[in-house]
Amino acid sequence: MTEEKIAVTSESTALPRKSFATFPVTRPTLALLLSVAALILIVPPLLDALYLRVFISSVIFTIAATGIAVLYARLGLVSLAQVALVGVGGWVTLRMWHATGLPFEVNMLTGAMISGVVGMLIGLPALRMRGLFLALITLMGAAGFQILVTGTQFPNGGEGVLGIAVTSIFMPRPVLGESDEAMLRYVCVVAVLCVLFVELNRRTRPGRAWALIRKSEACAMASGVNVAFYKAWGFALAGFIAGIAGALLAATLGVLDATTFPASESILLFALTVVGGAYNWLGLVLTGLLFRAAPALLNDIGVNGHLAYVIFGAGLLHALITAPTGIAGQILEGLKQLTKRRVGR
Amino acid sequence: MMTYTNRFIQLALACLAFALSSAAFAQQAKLCGLNNGKAASGQPILVGSVVGKTGPDDFSAGALAAKAYFDCVNSNGGINGRPIQFLIEDDQWKPEVAGQVASKLVKDRGVVALVGNGSFVEMTVNAKLYEQENVAVLASACAVRECFEAKNIASTNQGPVPSNISAVQWAVEKLGSKKVACIGLNIPSNGVWSCNLTNDWLKEKGLSGVSVLMNPGAPDANSALLEAVASGADTFLISLPAGLAQAFLKAGQDQNLRDKYKWISPTPLYKQGIPESIGAYWGDKVHVAIELTKWDGAGPDNKRWLAVMDKYGAKSDPRDTFSQAGFVSANIFVDALLKMDPKKIDRANVTKALKAVKNYRTDLLCGPWYFGDADFHQANHASMMLTVTKTGFKSETGCVDVSGKYYDKIRAMEKAQKLTGS
Amino acid sequence: MYGVFLVAGLALGAIYALSGVGLVVLYRSTGVLNIAYGAIGALGAMLAWQLEQMQYPEPVAWVAALLVATLLSVAYGRLVAPYLSYREPVVKAVATLGFALMILGTANYFWVEAPRRLYLFTDTMGFELLDVHITGTRALVLVATLATTFGIAVFLKHTRIGLLMQALANKRELSSVLGVPVIRIETYAWLISGFLAGFTGLMFGDLVRPNPGALTFLVIPAIAAAIVGRLESLPMTLAGGLIIGVVESMSTLIKPIAPYRSIAPFVVAAILLLWLQRNRKLTFSGHD
Repeated sequence: MTEEKIAVTSESTALPRKSFATFPVTRPTLALLLSVAALILIVPPLLDALYLRVFISSVIFTIAATGIAVLYARLGLVSLAQVALVGVGGWVTLRMWHATGLPFEVNMLTGAMISGVVGMLIGLPALRMRGLFLALITLMGAAGFQILVTGTQFPNGGEGVLGIAVTSIFMPRPVLGESDEAMLRYVCVVAVLCVLFVELNRRTRPGRAWALIRKSEACAMASGVNVAFYKAWGFALAGFIAGIAGALLAATLGVLDATTFPASESILLFALTVVGGAYNWLGLVLTGLLFRAAPALLNDIGVNGHLAYVIFGAGLLHALITAPTGIAGQILEGLKQLTKRRVGR
Repeated sequence: MMTYTNRFIQLALACLAFALSSAAFAQQAKLCGLNNGKAASGQPILVGSVVGKTGPDDFSAGALAAKAYFDCVNSNGGINGRPIQFLIEDDQWKPEVAGQVASKLVKDRGVVALVGNGSFVEMTVNAKLYEQENVAVLASACAVRECFEAKNIASTNQGPVPSNISAVQWAVEKLGSKKVACIGLNIPSNGVWSCNLTNDWLKEKGLSGVSVLMNPGAPDANSALLEAVASGADTFLISLPAGLAQAFLKAGQDQNLRDKYKWISPTPLYKQGIPESIGAYWGDKVHVAIELTKWDGAGPDNKRWLAVMDKYGAKSDPRDTFSQAGFVSANIFVDALLKMDPKKIDRANVTKALKAVKNYRTDLLCGPWYFGDADFHQANHASMMLTVTKTGFKSETGCVDVSGKYYDKIRAMEKAQKLTGS
Repeated sequence: MYGVFLVAGLALGAIYALSGVGLVVLYRSTGVLNIAYGAIGALGAMLAWQLEQMQYPEPVAWVAALLVATLLSVAYGRLVAPYLSYREPVVKAVATLGFALMILGTANYFWVEAPRRLYLFTDTMGFELLDVHITGTRALVLVATLATTFGIAVFLKHTRIGLLMQALANKRELSSVLGVPVIRIETYAWLISGFLAGFTGLMFGDLVRPNPGALTFLVIPAIAAAIVGRLESLPMTLAGGLIIGVVESMSTLIKPIAPYRSIAPFVVAAILLLWLQRNRKLTFSGHD
């Protein structure tokens, strides 16, 4: 499936077009827009307070997973630092709000941009490495962030650069997301904007460069693609999106805690992105749900927290083994088979 | 979560056995609630609890004790006939999860109050929710500043500050400590806060204190010990969770530093298994301040706690300070509710009733307890000192109140609002 | 004063190095970076603690810990890893996180957080060096790390199985075509690595504390040591582990960075790695 896509996109490199103007709304994108619209209108009032909160978290990490998917599906690169970058975005957003009191959206974009720069720095070794090694370098970044942030903690209204007060002051939610219901709608809209932003990148110059790089760096270089720049661009984009997720998480809770961002969570989010399926938006939605809704469900029905780890670990292994294209890949494949059979009749 | 029907059958059987077992029952002191041996069957009263169970430490002992007490109450007439349905949720030490489960209890299930909460993260995240929803929290294992400085949360335990200062106060008086290194976790609202206030107290007394903070993400007891040694202190105040405190002592043993320093600790080291796990090397050398009475205390309420735990608790439920604190919280809660009209037990009335609790006396606590309508709650501020021996704990002092400006203010407020009745 | 920090750093570094060596031996032969390495050791250490509590003699506890760790490792290697053998190395690695979570959950379920202490006979031994008291366990972990690294290096060079392991490390498909019994050789790698995990778990459980969570995530600084050895070189991994341990311990003396000293593994690894890779320009898939 990916091979196909790559072939199509690399073909289009030969025929550059003004894609910004003619950004096409394809069927999957339309499906995404429609289903999110339905979700936003119908679902929130139906949920109880627990699952409102759970789905807010799930959507936020779907956004974060979108960043992982950019690198993995488009460039074949692995970042094991995405949750740490979510933390960076959250840190900057909180720091900005406590320092300036600007509207949330401004702080969010600042957080995202700084997170993007950090993401690019962590990804710099990618210019010379790939595969497991690069993944491990990013993991070292995530582990380093974990140590730093447990030492400094998140700004909560105090003095100085680190902004630590002993009693926390909460950052208010964005004006459009005051209640949990409104917040769920808010994060869904932001999620769609993020997915569209990634699509925009994929269908324009960066996307074509990525496709070539993925096929062969030598080829890409030979055809005049600035390999270093577009790889770094991929990391920056992934970091930017992680930063958005971090800002939303900070807004939902008002405060953040270092325990949310250990290095192991970054590994887990990547693993679940592979399990959900990195090649389409359905997989990313599944990733968010697996990362946050599945543990919440186990907790809600009263499974012992430790046993939940066992179930979760076993599920992860099983899914990685049985669904190489991710669960979303399996579902879509299944649907394709179904429609084919119908047409055949 | 609790499967209540099963519980009821078990309880009914247990009750029957108990009723048949002896006539002495009638002469026995009151065990719980109405103490009439009748199972409550009215409309249940929903009560919740948020605890940090899955994570670096298990803070559920208070909620488990509360549950045992509620089970006892339910089979002894309930709240004037209405049973308590107790829902315990695990926040897994994760702020997001803490927010989720609190929403579930407060908004979805509509609990009238929360009892026995114990957590490192829950209070910070949820204090606002509790205030907005006007639900009162009778916690039993508060560890962070936000827990003591929230409008709707009051705890029966002491928290790190009075416990730290109690230990230091004793060490200064009895061991002649001059400079104390406070070894805590580098968490602003926990280790940083409690060590700072301890250092302030020492300064007030013309002595000096220094903080040695450990990174909670990768705690390395050995280098914390070395840092403490490098600080030039003569006394080490080990203000850490039990597991880490023990690792710290172990590092001290490796360097054979026992006799070069004085070793004191707040309540976390008062835990079953500690004398054995720190080893005979430390016998009579480590001194601990405790927030509630000793487990084997002779007071009637302490005996009642043990009896209720044996009869209604699980064998595996801890019998420690936090269990005692949870028991006290549950007692206060039940006593307050029993005074209410059973038909008018709703959240608003329960919150009002709990906030009105004052001058509550029990031998489990050193002083009288009150909820109070204030922005901060620190009713429990007197402790006892123990020494860890080779095989157990031995008492050094009875109840001693914490001195210092910080507590003088609290005592003045208690007096002004007549919260302690004295 | 410096002596104390040096000794503490060497002991810590030896644990990192030993874990790193266990990871590298496995990765070289099987292509799996085992994130469950720490968890495997954790279960062994917890079991040893349990047996000591039940008054079994200490050798029983040692054997049980090493045996359980080895078995867990081999079980994963035989039963699960083959299903993932044709996936990319990153997926193989993150899959072991699933295994780690399973072991961690199990260990935490049976051994709820409580003050525990693992006693080993080496604790009571000890000697003074440069005014520093060095316990037998600290000495043991250092000596064992040096001996193991050397021993494994010799084993890989001079025994048939060792040579076959090296062959697998170099060209996997080719080796299998040439008749190298891949599965059998891989099993040896899982076995050695599991044994080392068990030993590391025991040492860490004794020197720090027997805590499943702390032990499980010890794997992350251990990966840093393995990275220094480029997941390939045992001597470099050993050196990396020891340097990291000493840097981390010595940082305690520098006030402003003292609270962040546990970042040392990642900073050291990142710097060394970038330096080692300084001459590479292009990257091609398949060559990491």
